[in-house]
Amino acid sequence: MGRSGASLPLMSRRNLFQAGALGAFAFGLSACGSSSAPTISLYQSKPEVIPYFRDLVSSFNTEHPAIHAIHDATSSLSASFARATPPDLGCLNYNFEMARFQERGELSDLSDLLPEANIAPSVLELVDQYPTYPGRTSVIPYSMMGAATFYNKDIFDQHGLDVPTTYSELLGVCEKLKSAGVTAFYFTSADAWTLAQGIADYSIGGAIDVADFFKRMRDLGTEASNDSEVSFSKNLKKPLEKAVKLAEYTNADATSRKYADGNVAFANGEAAMYLQGPWAITEIMALNPKMNMGIFPLPMTENPEDRKVRVNLDLALWIPEGSQHKDEARELLKYLIQPEIADKYNATNNGFGVRADSPAVSDERLKDLQGFIDKAAFYQGTSTAIPKTIPFENYMQSIFTGGSIEETLATLDGDWQRNARRQGTN
Amino acid sequence: MSSVVSTTSKRRRRGRVEPMFYYFLVPALVLFTLCITVPALMGIYYSFTDSIGFGEYNFVGLNNYAVLFSDPAIVKSYLFTIGVSLLTVILVNVIALFLAIGLTSQIKMRTALRTIFVLPMVVSGIIISFVFQFIFANTVPAAAANMHLPFLQESILADPKLAWLAIVLVTTWQAVPSAMLIYIAALVTIPNDVYEASALDGAHSPQQLMRITLPMISGYVLINVILGFKGFLSMYDIIVGLTNGGPGTSTRSVAMTIFTGFDTGDYAYQMANSTIFFIITLAIALIQLRVSRGKAQF
Repeated sequence: MGRSGASLPLMSRRNLFQAGALGAFAFGLSACGSSSAPTISLYQSKPEVIPYFRDLVSSFNTEHPAIHAIHDATSSLSASFARATPPDLGCLNYNFEMARFQERGELSDLSDLLPEANIAPSVLELVDQYPTYPGRTSVIPYSMMGAATFYNKDIFDQHGLDVPTTYSELLGVCEKLKSAGVTAFYFTSADAWTLAQGIADYSIGGAIDVADFFKRMRDLGTEASNDSEVSFSKNLKKPLEKAVKLAEYTNADATSRKYADGNVAFANGEAAMYLQGPWAITEIMALNPKMNMGIFPLPMTENPEDRKVRVNLDLALWIPEGSQHKDEARELLKYLIQPEIADKYNATNNGFGVRADSPAVSDERLKDLQGFIDKAAFYQGTSTAIPKTIPFENYMQSIFTGGSIEETLATLDGDWQRNARRQGTN
Repeated sequence: MSSVVSTTSKRRRRGRVEPMFYYFLVPALVLFTLCITVPALMGIYYSFTDSIGFGEYNFVGLNNYAVLFSDPAIVKSYLFTIGVSLLTVILVNVIALFLAIGLTSQIKMRTALRTIFVLPMVVSGIIISFVFQFIFANTVPAAAANMHLPFLQESILADPKLAWLAIVLVTTWQAVPSAMLIYIAALVTIPNDVYEASALDGAHSPQQLMRITLPMISGYVLINVILGFKGFLSMYDIIVGLTNGGPGTSTRSVAMTIFTGFDTGDYAYQMANSTIFFIITLAIALIQLRVSRGKAQF
């Protein structure tokens, strides 16, 4: 009796604490639920434009007090889908990896927003080049990047060279530079991705119809092999042989140079041409503000009409099925696609507009590509159409560091078939 | 009530272990089950599906395994990983043992030297690999050019036939200290009078090493070999920093291949790969234990 009596006041005090804590917790919850607007997250992780989007989101919040948008640049996308807590609005690079989400029906239908988005038909076609979800518009393109060969105008002028429009003219340019002791191309082969998106994509895209090739490869499914009617071995061999020929005119230390080395070397005029995308322009200009550079598509045939620009949908918008606030996310999407907002984004970040009525690109250097973009002379790179599980970048690295083209392409065909077999495509 | 009391007292009388000891096991057991066992079992389950890590999936039976065994890239990654691990574990243990012997003998600045040799352990693998990447890609070729050594002027990281060597070197550099610490701990347990007695009998140093030191620390050798080999099999960060699997695919380890499954939608396939990897690692550990059973001395 005495013991329990002694412990009573202590017990009651603890209960009091518990009750107080619970009350505070409950109060906190109710405060959260009633006063603030629904919170939606915008997932956007392209490093160069994170500050830009942070500002955009805050001005959206000011204009739409009923919605609270937050900017998420760091989550793991696959993990967030695996946890069933995907972002409410995604604004991401559209490639084969992204297409996986739409193919499995994880992205909601946005077809009713298409008229408002007014996307150019040629750009909309790019979306359909990857596996889509039947009957849905899963993504809306937002910004497009155009990439081609950078060239140093001063070096070209010094040696009396014109921009080549055919493959043999290009070889002629390389020969002239070589005999003058100038490195024609600066390669950064230690970074495999620079070869894949550069020389590999440009040489293949300049020679064959990439979209058609991959459509036929996907249709083949598990039937694909190096003996089938289309195959990597058959269709990519010639362009890659021509590309390897061009690789003879590169810097001697290419195999140990990385992307950053390449930017420095090109900015310092160590080579006449450099195969990089628009993302490198800012850095090259920062390294050498007087840099006099232009851009041209790598000619891979004898017909100047075959020249095409490598593009990618650098940013595309989508709303997951799993979003709890689709309506609010659509408000944010509509805000972002307003012409004055989207055009300003592209003008500031070296992008090409995706609307049918987009203004021309503003960057001096990228203007060289506008004509090609306008007549839809563009393609999405081979490297972005191959599932990342196939180490295409590494394969290109081995080709351009002395490996066998035939063997590598045969491996690629084998990988493609094995991938189809485990995806159950057939 | 009374029956409960009587059964518990009966158990106690039989000398049953105090239940508190089991309670102590609970936190570790729960954490291990939740964080290791359950995810591993889930991974094995998904290896029989076509899951991409989320969303809907179908059962595909042994399809992933069938594809796996016909994939030359997978087979190559296993050969590469096991080969490099074997070589590294031998190098690490030989170097660590000699360093430990040196650092336990009566030399000047012993403590300072021990500290210096342990330093690589403190630096994270990815940083080490970036530093060495720079050394291999820039410093070594530049030095070779100055000394007119043409065969070293091209970075070994850029040579598909030699890049593995760089990975062995850097992994060894990083792994030696921890093995060395274990050997130092082992060597100080050997009583000095054993050496004195053998010296009186006319044994010279190599004989002492082979007949006394090695047998006396055989248990520690076993620990170092098993732990080291297990660690090297899952090598990842150093390769990412040095070659990222290249040139071509010449230095892709199993762990790197498995990791691609998480962000490329090849989840189920790489889960099948992980399952095979688990079985192989388990088999290697069992073989090592079986071979060394009874021979090791602690």
